[in-house]
Amino acid sequence: MATMDKINDLYARKQKAELGGGEERIEKQHASGKQTARERIMMLVDPNSFVEIDAFVETRSIEFGMQKKKIPGDGVVTGYGTVNGRLVFVSSQDFTVIGGSLGEMHAAKITKVMDMAVKMGAPFISINDSGGARIEEGIDALKGFGEIFYRNTIASGVIPQISVIMGPCAGGAVYSPAITDFVFMVEKTSQMFITGPQVIKAVTGEDVTFEELGGAATHSVKSGVAHFKCASEEDCIRDIKRLLSFIPDNNLSDSELLYCTDDLNRISDELNGIIPDEPNKPYDMKKIVTTVLDNHDFLEVHEGFAKNIIVGFGRINGRTVGIVANQPQVNAGVLDVDSSDKAARFVRFCDAFNIPLVTFTDVPGYLPGVDQEHTGIIRHGAKLLYAFSEATVPKINIIVRKAYGGAYIAMNSKHLGADIVFAWPSAEIAVMGPEGAANIIFRKDIANSEDPIAFREEKIREYREKFSNPYVAASRGYVDDVIEPSTTRIRVAGALEMLTSKRETRPSKKHGNIPL
Amino acid sequence: MRKFVINVNGNRYEVEVEEVTGSGNVIQPAAAPVQTAPAEPVVQPAQKAAVPEAPKPAVNASAPEGAVKITAPMPGTILDILVNTGDQVKKGDILLILEAMKMENEIVSPQDGVIASVNTSKGASVNSGDLLVSING
Repeated sequence: MATMDKINDLYARKQKAELGGGEERIEKQHASGKQTARERIMMLVDPNSFVEIDAFVETRSIEFGMQKKKIPGDGVVTGYGTVNGRLVFVSSQDFTVIGGSLGEMHAAKITKVMDMAVKMGAPFISINDSGGARIEEGIDALKGFGEIFYRNTIASGVIPQISVIMGPCAGGAVYSPAITDFVFMVEKTSQMFITGPQVIKAVTGEDVTFEELGGAATHSVKSGVAHFKCASEEDCIRDIKRLLSFIPDNNLSDSELLYCTDDLNRISDELNGIIPDEPNKPYDMKKIVTTVLDNHDFLEVHEGFAKNIIVGFGRINGRTVGIVANQPQVNAGVLDVDSSDKAARFVRFCDAFNIPLVTFTDVPGYLPGVDQEHTGIIRHGAKLLYAFSEATVPKINIIVRKAYGGAYIAMNSKHLGADIVFAWPSAEIAVMGPEGAANIIFRKDIANSEDPIAFREEKIREYREKFSNPYVAASRGYVDDVIEPSTTRIRVAGALEMLTSKRETRPSKKHGNIPL
Repeated sequence: MRKFVINVNGNRYEVEVEEVTGSGNVIQPAAAPVQTAPAEPVVQPAQKAAVPEAPKPAVNASAPEGAVKITAPMPGTILDILVNTGDQVKKGDILLILEAMKMENEIVSPQDGVIASVNTSKGASVNSGDLLVSING
């Protein structure tokens, strides 16, 4: 073959690899409302920035006719590119090639770019669209999964890892996304489950659709597996880019510092009137959160799951902060099993990636009930205490209303190492609510009094006046300052500025043992 | 046995109360409080009956449930019910107020639809997961 022919041969081979499973399957992919593996990468990265790796990799399997099914690329497109100028590593499974199934070489391509992402300290984005393990390749496929999970774990807390589910992701495959930091799902076209509807029907007799079992709505509301639910693949890619804008490239770098276009000294008079006069009335905590952030810009994580706590990213003075806030509008803002898990995981992400934590507290306590106790609120609630205690990033807490009992401690209290605790004048920091406290402290007196109801009311009022305020805690130094709500933004921005040089060392250890 | 007259929301109830001594667990007069107010025939028995033995099917039989079930997110007391069977509701409309954790929690409609059944009553104590309202979309 002449050199020119060899060059032509190269392009012919590349062209073949780029077609994946062929025109017909690509059309089918489009018909089912899905983009191809390559189209997805092109939507994600900056134009002309994508560099593919391993386009010629093929399966080594010859069992069950695999040598005839060989397609260059082996069902996954991998490489690197930039998103808004920042380096990212990407793998994107190609459903048109043997259903995107994961074999030995397919997995080897993925682990190669994962290793590169860790070495270069750049985010890894994994787009999932696969029928699962390639059965023909037997335990070599299992090995592939195992090596991906291992790398997900080793890379955890070193580089941000984002999983994007744009098709099926079933069986063992789900555990890679589960280990990563954020899971995106697209409505209607993506599903995640360990065992599918047919197996469930055979084993337990339950009838359930794919969507009900493991669709985006299910995982973003009920199970909490998905952090973001997106209406379409385009929306999904847009949301990933938005998330990337808030987080750093790796654990040794900081998030991008943007020029703050919002007035740092903005006085927010609306916050002075946001807390209702009656302590039993709800209000929308998100209004407080967005008012304090630059340009009211807030990216909520886990928007549909455990809505009694709010977590997400925003910026103050151009610098990324992680927000954790109780939501009195949903289930009174209680801490329960799910909300503790949700917040604890988020706190640990922020701590791993140098993102300061700003919390807004209005919590009536842990949710009582047999169900909560039996599902392990002790174990789960402990995660939140652990996560806040463990975090060494700047920690600022603003107690806007209720902070009672164990939940007060758990919500980034001074006692768990918060650097600055502010309280609004409406704060009620106490061991428990006035009603409960009066019942316990004055139980005998109430029983023995002539008019128990009136006597009880009087004692509740007495307790409320004495303890349901921020000044008892402030007199002990548990609250650093009581501030006017309208000045919250200025005060938080100032505290963050002061805390930029925070350094805190801990005893060296292999790792802690968070109650899982 | 002692007799009491109790007025609830303007409805008059005659209630018999018998003290239960150590050995016997006579709850034969339990039927008495179940007498329903004529104004709210569907709702009242559901609430009273749910306390001792939770015979939920009875509720279902009297009020056909809609496809979308709104259940109590946590244990508490129904402070107010703002909708009736047959009402049109929009996503985000407040259906009822559940007092729990000393807070008035607004239970809102997850979608647009028509109220198919109201399965609780004012003042009722509910547990997590108890059916409150059902909606047909």
